[in-house]
Amino acid sequence: MTNRPADGTVSPAVGRPPLAVVLVAVIVIASGELGGAVLSQLRPATTRFATRRIAANPQVHGLTGSAEYDDTIRQRTVFATEAGLSFFHTHAEGTGLVLFFGATLVASLVSSRAWRAALYVLLTAGALFPLGYLVYALAVLQLGRDTGIDLAENWVLTPLGCAAIAGLFGLAVALARRPA
Amino acid sequence: MTPVETWRLPPRGVLFAAVVLLVVAEIGGGSMARFKVELARWARGGMLAHPAAHGLVGVRDIDEPALDEALFRFDAGLRLFHMHAEGMALVIIAATTVAATLARSPGPRRALIVLLSVGGVGYPLGYLTWSALIPAYGVERSKAIAESLVWIPFGGATIVALLWLAALTAVRMVRR
Repeated sequence: MTNRPADGTVSPAVGRPPLAVVLVAVIVIASGELGGAVLSQLRPATTRFATRRIAANPQVHGLTGSAEYDDTIRQRTVFATEAGLSFFHTHAEGTGLVLFFGATLVASLVSSRAWRAALYVLLTAGALFPLGYLVYALAVLQLGRDTGIDLAENWVLTPLGCAAIAGLFGLAVALARRPA
Repeated sequence: MTPVETWRLPPRGVLFAAVVLLVVAEIGGGSMARFKVELARWARGGMLAHPAAHGLVGVRDIDEPALDEALFRFDAGLRLFHMHAEGMALVIIAATTVAATLARSPGPRRALIVLLSVGGVGYPLGYLTWSALIPAYGVERSKAIAESLVWIPFGGATIVALLWLAALTAVRMVRR
């Protein structure tokens, strides 16, 4: 973005990805910001909600009725929920930006229409990776810590993370194959 | 290949502010590592000069954990400044580029760019404010000050602007 023509547009070499991709990038960044605010302002409410959900599902959390043991389980599970929300905040800020800049590179430098479409799909799916941490935060409360983490990892984090890696790898290949 | 759609650059002042924020973030990260001992000594000195703010009672076994906790928060504030300043600088560049390109009316475009830039630059400074105030005011009181003076107004501006930008992008998409 070094050339600045008189009309204020970026050099024609820097293309804009489709609006749907831009929209996802902006929503993911906005969700990240919002998640951070919720995490900071509503921490006590979040902790109370998590504690209530654990109490409502005593079997999946392995609560025994022994106060000391149950407290340890409760603290570990609440910590996992808060960690999920915190990871959502940090990753959403990052993956939204990765989508914005990655898709801009795709729009600017990838000439094949099919390649561009495939890379947009992969990068957009990859930008949704942080949703896995929201699932993580809720699933540990509903299903228990280990089962919840497994669910989020196997069904959300791994597929979306793989999409992000494949999209970035594809972009790297497209750049390497591009004539100088 | 000549793409049909291109990005419009945000105003140069906005890009300058974002780059300065990136530089400050890098300097902050470097300084934290280089002057770790000096910073900790300064903070500890400030805490000892304001014992009431930290609940210090003059008993080593009680005071040391309190000082350690406050020093940990002081360090966390600096680390969070470093991380958030790096992130927000990139958010400013990306989001103001989208605003400059997609907001056609000058009024909303200007408002969006101002909110995103001022919010984005101001928000990370809240973490510096928090750290700087910890020695004199204690962890919780300095956090409340940083929240009301910096995080809520500047973070709020950024969130409002990003939601507005998302709505504007969606409207542009639907109207095509």
